[in-house]
Amino acid sequence: MVNVMKGILVECDPAMKQFLLHMDETEGLGRKFVIQDLDETHIFISAEILPVLRDRIDDLMDKLSFPLNEK
Amino acid sequence: MANSLFSTRTLDCKDLHVYLKTLPSHILDRLYNHPATCLAVFRELPEIGKHYVMRLLFVEQPVSQAVIGLWINNRHINEHHICTRALSDLRIWYEQPLPGGMQGWILNSTFKTNMKTALLGGGEPWTGRGAVPLPSDKNSKDVEFLDKYAVERWECVLHFMVGSNEGKDGISGDTIEVLKHSGLMKLEEGEPMPFITPGGFQFLLMDTPSQIWFFMLQYLDMVDSRGLDLVECLSFLFQLSFSTLGKDYSTESMSEGQQRFLQHLREFGLVYQRKRKEKRYYPTRLAINLASGLSSITSDSNRKGFIVVETNYRIYAYTDSPLNIALLALFSEMLYRFPNMAVANLTRDSVRAALIRGITAEQIISFLRTRAHQEMAKEGPALPPTIIDQIRLWELERDRFKFNDGVLYSQFLSQGDFEKLRDYAKDLGVLVWDNNQKRVMVVSRAGHDTVKKYWKQLKQSGNS
Repeated sequence: MVNVMKGILVECDPAMKQFLLHMDETEGLGRKFVIQDLDETHIFISAEILPVLRDRIDDLMDKLSFPLNEK
Repeated sequence: MANSLFSTRTLDCKDLHVYLKTLPSHILDRLYNHPATCLAVFRELPEIGKHYVMRLLFVEQPVSQAVIGLWINNRHINEHHICTRALSDLRIWYEQPLPGGMQGWILNSTFKTNMKTALLGGGEPWTGRGAVPLPSDKNSKDVEFLDKYAVERWECVLHFMVGSNEGKDGISGDTIEVLKHSGLMKLEEGEPMPFITPGGFQFLLMDTPSQIWFFMLQYLDMVDSRGLDLVECLSFLFQLSFSTLGKDYSTESMSEGQQRFLQHLREFGLVYQRKRKEKRYYPTRLAINLASGLSSITSDSNRKGFIVVETNYRIYAYTDSPLNIALLALFSEMLYRFPNMAVANLTRDSVRAALIRGITAEQIISFLRTRAHQEMAKEGPALPPTIIDQIRLWELERDRFKFNDGVLYSQFLSQGDFEKLRDYAKDLGVLVWDNNQKRVMVVSRAGHDTVKKYWKQLKQSGNS
């Protein structure tokens, strides 16, 4: 028997993959979304979560950056 | 983001020959009915192509392909092939069998006749050179005025696109139609005015000749729906490109369709006509540069750089043009505006906002670089390397993830099954990712149906 599932293959660096796993475990996006953890840099997730996930990644990036300019 | 689902469209800007090759052959044949077109196409041919055409121009019979092949050294055989293909695609020549059974080439007779006219003179007067010479214009215009006029008119269109108020007047419904058709702007439901698209932003950052060329291609796409004849418009454009800047031409011998076309060109700033009813017009630099496509354009050199970028992310723009400031504001945060200069900050947020709208980091950098103040260009690179790197980093930051729509196949019972299916998907080119040990593979959404069908067949044949 073969199991077939639709979704999105994500390719990213290991650090970002850990972030995704963390979001999944703590249900930071309201529910679980990781279908299968494939390897170091690949992970398979459900398609519906993508817009929410995108926003969340943007938030993370905002927190990581420091405003360089002074007015 | 590589996936087509998530990617932003880049503007596809063809050059003259690529555009002509997209035209149906009967239109091309009709186009060659005018010497101006033939000359314009001829001057854009590769050097070898020009030789071939010149050598064959006065030969009235097909010349064997083998003979033409001998004209060129074997080392340059590739260029020869490219060139012969280009000539065939443009229908300048076509194949004709020789009596001995060999293949030969013969020049398109319409092209040949009109090319001769272009070189040797004679034939009918070109448009604008009416039978009766124009009396000298009492409101005659000089080159400087025409340049200024053309830029003003064209900037009206651009102003309209960035949504600033300066350009509201003088934009006709026709222009808006072209902008919508080309995908540079789109009309949101419930909005009275069209809104700019990511493609439109890229368009704004291109240099003027490329903008005009792209815009005119889109315009020409639509002439049929306006009841204008494409061949008539194109040959008029080609004739314009051979006119002299600062000289006036008569509208007398123009057909009604061409008159309407002229009014459109007037709106974009490609020609100057004092009044609609005036019997004379002046082509501007924009029109004269047009027919050479993008290949030989070196203009914009008369435009002075005005941007100074400092390593502290500050931009000083020494300009009074609201359009330039509006363009700058697409990716920077405005701080101060003075009558002759503006100060802006490049911030992560402002650049990201631009990236989200579909402008690429490369476009921002090239915009800043091409418009850098000459004082900046004096010492080494025109832009501080830190700024260039940072803009690129901001773009990369959005690319830490690559999303690929796909279907996951897992839990195969045997290694053999897995390998068969994987190899099948790989041969089809739909395999996105696979892992041999875990027996897991991901197939693109488009390939899923075929792979599924194959899997069912495989199972059936296995069972029976």
